[in-house]
Amino acid sequence: MAVGTAGRLWARIGTGMAIAGAVGLGLVAMPAGAGAAPNLPPVSPEDLVASVEKADPGPLNGTVELDNALGLPAIPGAPDLANGTKEARVWSDGTGKGRVALPSDQGEKTLVSDGTTAWSYDSTDRTATKKAVTPGEHRPEAADPTRSAADAITELRTTSTVTVDGTAEVAGRPAYELVLAPKPTERTLLREVRIAVDSEKRIPLRLTVLATGSADPAFEVGFTDLTFGPQDPSLFTFTPPPGTTVKDAPQGDRTPGGKPAGAAPTVVGDGWDTVVIAKRPAPEQAPQGTPDLSRLGTPVSGSWGSGRLVTTAVASAILTDDGRVAAGAVPEQVLTEALSK
Amino acid sequence: MTTLPVREAARVTAAPAARAVGLRKVYGRTVAVAGLDLEVPTGAVLGMLGPNGSGKTTLIRMLLGLTRPTAGTAELLGHPLPGVAAALPHVGALVEGPGFHPFLSGRENLRRLAAAEPLLDAAAIPRAVGAALDRVGLAHAADRRFRGYSLGMKQRLGLAGALLVPRRLVVLDEPTNGLDPAGTRDVRAIIAELHAAGSTVIVSSHLLAEVEATCTHVAVLQSGTLVAAGELRGLLDAGTGGLVVVTPDVEPALRALAEAGAVASRDTGGEPGVVVTDGPEPPEIVALLVRAGVAVHEARRRRPRLEELFAQLTEGS
Amino acid sequence: MTITAETGPPTRAAAPVGRLLAAEVRWVFRRPRTLVTLGLFALIPVLIAIGVVVADRDGGGGLIGAVAGNGLVLPIAALTVALALLLPLAVAMAAADALAGEAANGTLRGLLLAPVSRLRLVGVKAFGVLVVAAAVALAIAVVGVLAGMVVVGSADGGMVTLSGTTLGLAAGLARVALVTVWVVGQLAAVGAVALAVSSLTEHPLVVLASVLGGLIAFGVLSAIPALDWLQPWLLTSGWSAGADALRDPITLDAMGSSTLRALCYAAIGVGFTLWRMQRRDA
Repeated sequence: MAVGTAGRLWARIGTGMAIAGAVGLGLVAMPAGAGAAPNLPPVSPEDLVASVEKADPGPLNGTVELDNALGLPAIPGAPDLANGTKEARVWSDGTGKGRVALPSDQGEKTLVSDGTTAWSYDSTDRTATKKAVTPGEHRPEAADPTRSAADAITELRTTSTVTVDGTAEVAGRPAYELVLAPKPTERTLLREVRIAVDSEKRIPLRLTVLATGSADPAFEVGFTDLTFGPQDPSLFTFTPPPGTTVKDAPQGDRTPGGKPAGAAPTVVGDGWDTVVIAKRPAPEQAPQGTPDLSRLGTPVSGSWGSGRLVTTAVASAILTDDGRVAAGAVPEQVLTEALSK
Repeated sequence: MTTLPVREAARVTAAPAARAVGLRKVYGRTVAVAGLDLEVPTGAVLGMLGPNGSGKTTLIRMLLGLTRPTAGTAELLGHPLPGVAAALPHVGALVEGPGFHPFLSGRENLRRLAAAEPLLDAAAIPRAVGAALDRVGLAHAADRRFRGYSLGMKQRLGLAGALLVPRRLVVLDEPTNGLDPAGTRDVRAIIAELHAAGSTVIVSSHLLAEVEATCTHVAVLQSGTLVAAGELRGLLDAGTGGLVVVTPDVEPALRALAEAGAVASRDTGGEPGVVVTDGPEPPEIVALLVRAGVAVHEARRRRPRLEELFAQLTEGS
Repeated sequence: MTITAETGPPTRAAAPVGRLLAAEVRWVFRRPRTLVTLGLFALIPVLIAIGVVVADRDGGGGLIGAVAGNGLVLPIAALTVALALLLPLAVAMAAADALAGEAANGTLRGLLLAPVSRLRLVGVKAFGVLVVAAAVALAIAVVGVLAGMVVVGSADGGMVTLSGTTLGLAAGLARVALVTVWVVGQLAAVGAVALAVSSLTEHPLVVLASVLGGLIAFGVLSAIPALDWLQPWLLTSGWSAGADALRDPITLDAMGSSTLRALCYAAIGVGFTLWRMQRRDA
């Protein structure tokens, strides 16, 4: 019994089970390896960009993952900006109705737009915020790779070298890798922006931002899961559940996931070395929850005045003592020049 | 027991109920059992003797397959060690004290054990449990929690566990621990019953009187080795006994014996007399004493008590 | 170890498995400790319900906050809260009693001498631990549903999801059942690992301490950003997935992957226990 042949057999089976379990754990733990780059017919960068601008994917749903390695300092009151991974589930009917779910461990933010009304529901305080939207101004998605990639292409085309650099598989779909690299005259911290474009639907599936001097992406947003096809229409309607506080979003207040709409910022330069200069709201006017930025960065000064410089892997910002903020994906010098103008 | 009843004699020639060949167990640097050979004839009642730490329990555990031997093999009811489990349904054992759950009653504890007994049908379990409890005299306390049992009751329950099914071999490790004299008598009676029913019994004990009273065979362990094994009578006869002469004339007897070159001393226990431990053969001694005018009331060969034999065996080494 | 048909008793070499399992379950539920544990676990949702009603929506965020006026969330919230520490400890206790406790009592010896083969012993013990895991999870779920409906009350008899939609009673109960099954799966993994520890020792407290220590170690490891890569290996990192059952549409990815991970842990635990029990002195 203690050392019976059956016992030995079962000891071996036990060992086998334990090893199989460990291997299985490894398989569960390891991310699915990227498949071989798919073979796709060659396409010119111009055609690819043109097709992206015309793309109409129709109804779809999927999961978007945002991987932030921008290296922003931890700002009290704004933990969402710190490094990390976030996930969003998106549904779109292809005609301007959409739904986004931003899950957290114990709650969820839900954004629903039925084309005329945008609802934002927060499960943690059970409030629903309602806002009228004009058709065309739709897409509440802040982290939609399709949207942000299309914007990036429009914005950067003229100042970039655009190439098609092979193929990739994103969310199980074959895609072209469109690469936008700054022209040599551009003074920027960025090395390139890579956009994976779905080979069939021609929508961007993934946007990757690479900074100079680093092989790992500083920022990446892309689908991890994507299905095209008709969506349940009930997804795009929202009825506040019982026990919900319903608020109307006042005009000029924050849009869901957006920035405070204040004085229009000044834009200096274009393309990769664009610098945005804006007025900061005075601390006492700041709405509840605005991050306290007064202790960040290192002091700098120049002909433009003095302030504090905050740098990350892909961007720099100067917060001047006179209440302005200048930011861009550029080195410090470009910022100070812009401030001096 | 020099002449076995025919029934038993036939069985003894069959495979031994238990056998150890070169059985050895080493824990770290401690040698618990040092390569030991032992055969327990079928139908025998083997008393396993030895001081604490002599390897009795380890030997029993190896025979039952509870402990893996470092070397050697064991055999139980004809099943060699890798498969002793095949013999276990026919083996009842009480090893290292009774193990039961304190929160269950004696009956519940036995039922749990009985559920695991291959030879019991589900329908027969309540009856078997009741019978075992009766047999060890625990029927009155069967439905009390084990937690509240006295040491003796716990021991009795352990015994009941070994007797749930008619067994071919019963192994009892220190069965009378914690039992009062009445309990000890009960255990002796149960061993005698088992023996009469043809079961083989292995009893380990440090109570020599108990072994002497109930056993047909003895194995004496000392520091993990077997210093003596065999039939109880044979071992006792082989021991140096001497001659006890009962006589009122102690002094003349001692004088006469000393003159004849015999070694003798005054018998300190019982009736007045002398003990001759060395010298001529008994008939010559009796003749010699009678010639010397000593009144010989009785002369008998003295059998050593097991206790003395045990002392000789374990202290001599 | 041949298993012969149940006909001729004298030829049978092992007791029927069903009888062994029944005896094990009977033993598990006659243990006062198990019953006390079940009672305490049934109290958890009741206490949360009372707390939520007393706090009246000031209970803060998180799943507990979502219970207010939304009773069907209570069992899921209670299961998620208990899964962090209490449920694993209850299962660890069962696993500790299963082998280490039986060894300490000397009763393991009795079972092996009956004989119960060591393979079957592991199977029977694993089953017993699983039964305890299911019992404690069910206690929370059932009492949670009742307390949720009676004490907290629910919106229109349904369940408001985290996504702001309202599910009917049947759909809500199905979500509760899903989370309960998922929790039992996670507890099976804890139980298997605890059983492996239990096969190594004669001291039940060592098992409890190991599981507690393991939970703390996993918690610490998952809190260190530099060890992010370790996350997918840790059993505990999937333990917030129960909240996914409260989303609409439901997403099963996290529950699925954590269940797979739990199965792997269970295989490791049971495999090790099998290996170890073939060698163990009893």
